[in-house]
Amino acid sequence: MLFWNKKLSFLAIFTGMLILLAFGLVLFYAPVEQNMGMVQKVFYFHVAAAWLGMLGFLVAAVCAVLYLRNGKLSLDAVAASSVEIGLLFTAIANFTGMIWARPVWNTWWTWDPRLTTMTIMAFTYIAYFLLRRGIDDPAKKARFGSIYLIIGFASVPLTFFSARLLRTIHPTIFGNAGTGEMAMTPAMYQTMGFSIFAFSVLFVLLLVTRSRLRLNQQWLDEQEALEQEEEFGEVANG
Amino acid sequence: MKNWLSTLKALIWKDLLQEWRSKDMLTAMLAFAILSIFIFNYAMELDPRQRAELAPGILWVVITFSGTLGLNRSFVAEQEQGSFDALVMAVPGLGSIWLAKQISNFLMMLVLIVIVLPIYSLLYNQNLFNPGLILTLILGAWSFSAAGTLLASMTAQTRMRDLLLPVLLFPILMPVNMAVVKAGMGVMSGAALASYQVWLTVLLVYGIIMTTISLLVFDYVILE
Repeated sequence: MLFWNKKLSFLAIFTGMLILLAFGLVLFYAPVEQNMGMVQKVFYFHVAAAWLGMLGFLVAAVCAVLYLRNGKLSLDAVAASSVEIGLLFTAIANFTGMIWARPVWNTWWTWDPRLTTMTIMAFTYIAYFLLRRGIDDPAKKARFGSIYLIIGFASVPLTFFSARLLRTIHPTIFGNAGTGEMAMTPAMYQTMGFSIFAFSVLFVLLLVTRSRLRLNQQWLDEQEALEQEEEFGEVANG
Repeated sequence: MKNWLSTLKALIWKDLLQEWRSKDMLTAMLAFAILSIFIFNYAMELDPRQRAELAPGILWVVITFSGTLGLNRSFVAEQEQGSFDALVMAVPGLGSIWLAKQISNFLMMLVLIVIVLPIYSLLYNQNLFNPGLILTLILGAWSFSAAGTLLASMTAQTRMRDLLLPVLLFPILMPVNMAVVKAGMGVMSGAALASYQVWLTVLLVYGIIMTTISLLVFDYVILE
């Protein structure tokens, strides 16, 4: 029964419905933006994915601190799973951003603070997995990984701050009403809010599933090691 | 406190003496640094009018790349000769082991800067002995060695070692790179202090954050 969980499958079905509903809202409820047209609709998933990217790394950093305090390997499993999911959604945010930027900014890429910071953040966490791969001992892997997560999490805001000092053309969407800049209608806000909510539930589902998988894998590795030890012991005795 | 200071001094002295006798690290770093200046010359066709603006950036890239080379070596003695365990047993307070290593790495970076700066000035006929630029580089070197020493102490214990350090270090160093280059350009173009002061603050804040985190977590790097 270690691999099957009724509550989790309910959550999975619920998440699936939420995501479908979010798609529906984006396609049929949210109005078409007057200047940018249909391509603006990618925005609802772009913002939600970027949010999950940051959430993933926040959760990972919190787990890293907790792991260093009490040394429970399950916390490390959650941290690593959270980085994985965060990395995936950061990539999605980057790609959806590019799809939008090509027609609107007339370029796939620009050295804007948010783009730069997200990408540097992604590289930080790719390095995290490289570090983990270089270490065999599970406890050491978890310790070093946690330390790196903490340093990474401390440097990302500074990267953003520094990049922002340099230049920005990324639109600021919130709090622009009445300034004549890009502003959203209520239907757009509602769609975006729902999309962020649906993605957040998806995050919880993925995090729980992936962490369980990781923990099962850990358990399996331990059993295999024990078995090998026993076999080796028998040979030595015989 | 007095005890702690003398421990720190002894640990730094040990690193410096070892380097003085072997000269492994500095020779390689310097050779690499000067070669990179030559490579940059041909890669970018540095024309005298652009040079003034580009100098801090090129200088910083040269310094960080050769510094990474040095960082990779900084825990080799402890690893290969197993003196890490001896140090842990002998030294009260694990933080001082890290701080000593960080300070000796920082001093190594300063030596590198002291030698590279005149060579660059000479080769490009451009006076880089500007107090503002030197201050920027010193602050940058501290931030670099604070983040680098902690990461090097971890990568030294992994399978990929030297291969891993730059991949781990460079994304973390992003704010330092931006700040050093921007502050350096501000200094060299003769702008008012107010226009680049914020970058010096970024460097200072980064240095303080990294040093604090390292002191807090270093126990977990050597703990077995």
